[in-house]
Amino acid sequence: MEFAVEVKDLCKTFSSGWFRKRKKEALKGIDLIVPVGAMWGILGPNGAGKTTLLSILSNLLTPEQGEVRILGLDFRTNGNEIRKRINLSSGHANFLWSMSVQENLKYYAMLYGLSGKSLNSKIETVMDMFSLKDFARVRFEELSTGTKQKLSLAKALINEPELLFLDEPTVGLDPDVTNRIRDIIKYLHQEKKITILITTHNMKEAEFLCEEVAFIINGSIKAKGSPQDLKEKLHLGDTILIDFKGLIPAAALKAMDGIYDIQIHNSSCKITVDNHRKRLAQILEFFTTQNIMMSHIHIKESDLEDVFISFTR
Amino acid sequence: MKTFLSLLLDESIKTKAFMFKNWIMAKRNLFTLFEILFWPSISFLSVGLLAEFVNLQPRMRAFILVGVVSMSTVQVCQLDVAYALLYDVWSKALKHGFIAPVGTRHLLMGSLFVGILRGGLVFITLMAASYIIFDFNFTSPGILAIGLFVLGLFLSASMIGILVSILVLTIGNRAEVAAWSLVSLMLLICGIYYPVSILPYWIVVFAKLLPITYFLEYYRGFYGFEPTFSHVLLKGYTAVIAYLFLEVYLMKVALKRAKRKGILLKLSE
Repeated sequence: MEFAVEVKDLCKTFSSGWFRKRKKEALKGIDLIVPVGAMWGILGPNGAGKTTLLSILSNLLTPEQGEVRILGLDFRTNGNEIRKRINLSSGHANFLWSMSVQENLKYYAMLYGLSGKSLNSKIETVMDMFSLKDFARVRFEELSTGTKQKLSLAKALINEPELLFLDEPTVGLDPDVTNRIRDIIKYLHQEKKITILITTHNMKEAEFLCEEVAFIINGSIKAKGSPQDLKEKLHLGDTILIDFKGLIPAAALKAMDGIYDIQIHNSSCKITVDNHRKRLAQILEFFTTQNIMMSHIHIKESDLEDVFISFTR
Repeated sequence: MKTFLSLLLDESIKTKAFMFKNWIMAKRNLFTLFEILFWPSISFLSVGLLAEFVNLQPRMRAFILVGVVSMSTVQVCQLDVAYALLYDVWSKALKHGFIAPVGTRHLLMGSLFVGILRGGLVFITLMAASYIIFDFNFTSPGILAIGLFVLGLFLSASMIGILVSILVLTIGNRAEVAAWSLVSLMLLICGIYYPVSILPYWIVVFAKLLPITYFLEYYRGFYGFEPTFSHVLLKGYTAVIAYLFLEVYLMKVALKRAKRKGILLKLSE
């Protein structure tokens, strides 16, 4: 298997204050492997080290310790080659204020060596993709936050990167624009086959976009895996709430496969299961065979938000 | 052969990118227009009129006017080199440039080209104004002398601009003040309105280190002012080329340091 990102024992400490005495360990021995073609999420609270990690991977920051290979190349010796094949888009997009959308794209395309027809066609393509044509001549300072973000993504695709880093790409955007940007990111991964590494503290976004996620807290990766794996690992199952009439044999119910917990309160029963899709039928059958009348059933799926809370607690 | 040509094309496109950026930014911002029209005109007129008022001899007036024209030319040209980084710092977009496969050479060459264009415009305008308003013929030393003098000024300006860029990468935003103050300080030492021989001896030591000192002495020599130093043109060019090589190296070091210390990211936030 080919890897887009290989990180081993990565450490980064920032110094500040008089005589650089104040130290902050931003990353503490990070290990991470992202296969080519994957969409991975780096999750964590503010200040956890997500942006620091992404900045090192995109060659904007040098670590004091650790090995980093990007697209199979050592980042210390192949910086220029790597930079040709990657790109980055950040939330709270910032570009040259006086330059229009088209001029900004032209400038960045030229930095990647594009010129003439290939430059013009590339600009056309990315403006089409992000519906930026109406704003082609509008200066960056006059754009809305959502359009600025679209420009940031368009700029990140100008060199047709094999590996794309997205640093909180939907932060500060309204729900409508957020959804559209998430759809575009999904399209880039599924249709354009770009390997994407995305940082976010929005768990819904990670769940919607990422196949695998890594939780980074205080500079260390606490867990990684698919969202479902993580939920199971932490026993953060789905919740089935049943309003009932009758007597529940709690011990027998708890002994069933895949049931983590049962709480009965008056005529309401809260059952936590590993996966409601797998367990609901057998629970309903159990209630029926025990002649328990059910008046209302409510299902709540656990999500990464629960995983996040569990880690940060 | 094809590889060499494609490499050359790649280099020129990337250099052109920085020219494009500086050109558009210069075109769109009022303060950049002020830099090439307002401030040079103000200093030129005020100094020129003062020379008229105190009834300076034509030779002395030539001394002063060469100084004021040089100062404005160097000031405008060095700003463009410094702006190559400062525009990105002010836009908080520095990281986008450095994530691309470009080198400091592209950044410096591209911005210097626009600096030469803007500085050249200032030089030509003030040269014409000197003739029209103060009856001073800037071209009397001849085309070659003007060419060597102006090239020296542009190289000196790029030296100052790169120094500002190094400072920005080293100490961050606080260094932007150097874009305007550093050049004034240097021009004070190199004898912009007076010969360096009148300066205290310890300042003359610093003046000797500045290439502009030699270029000014060279050009004023054509108006009858015996240079304080010998071989001024040789010394000026040797010094400025040596400084440029040193600064390009230091800029690479500063960039590496900025990546290590996180300054590049701080300047993009």
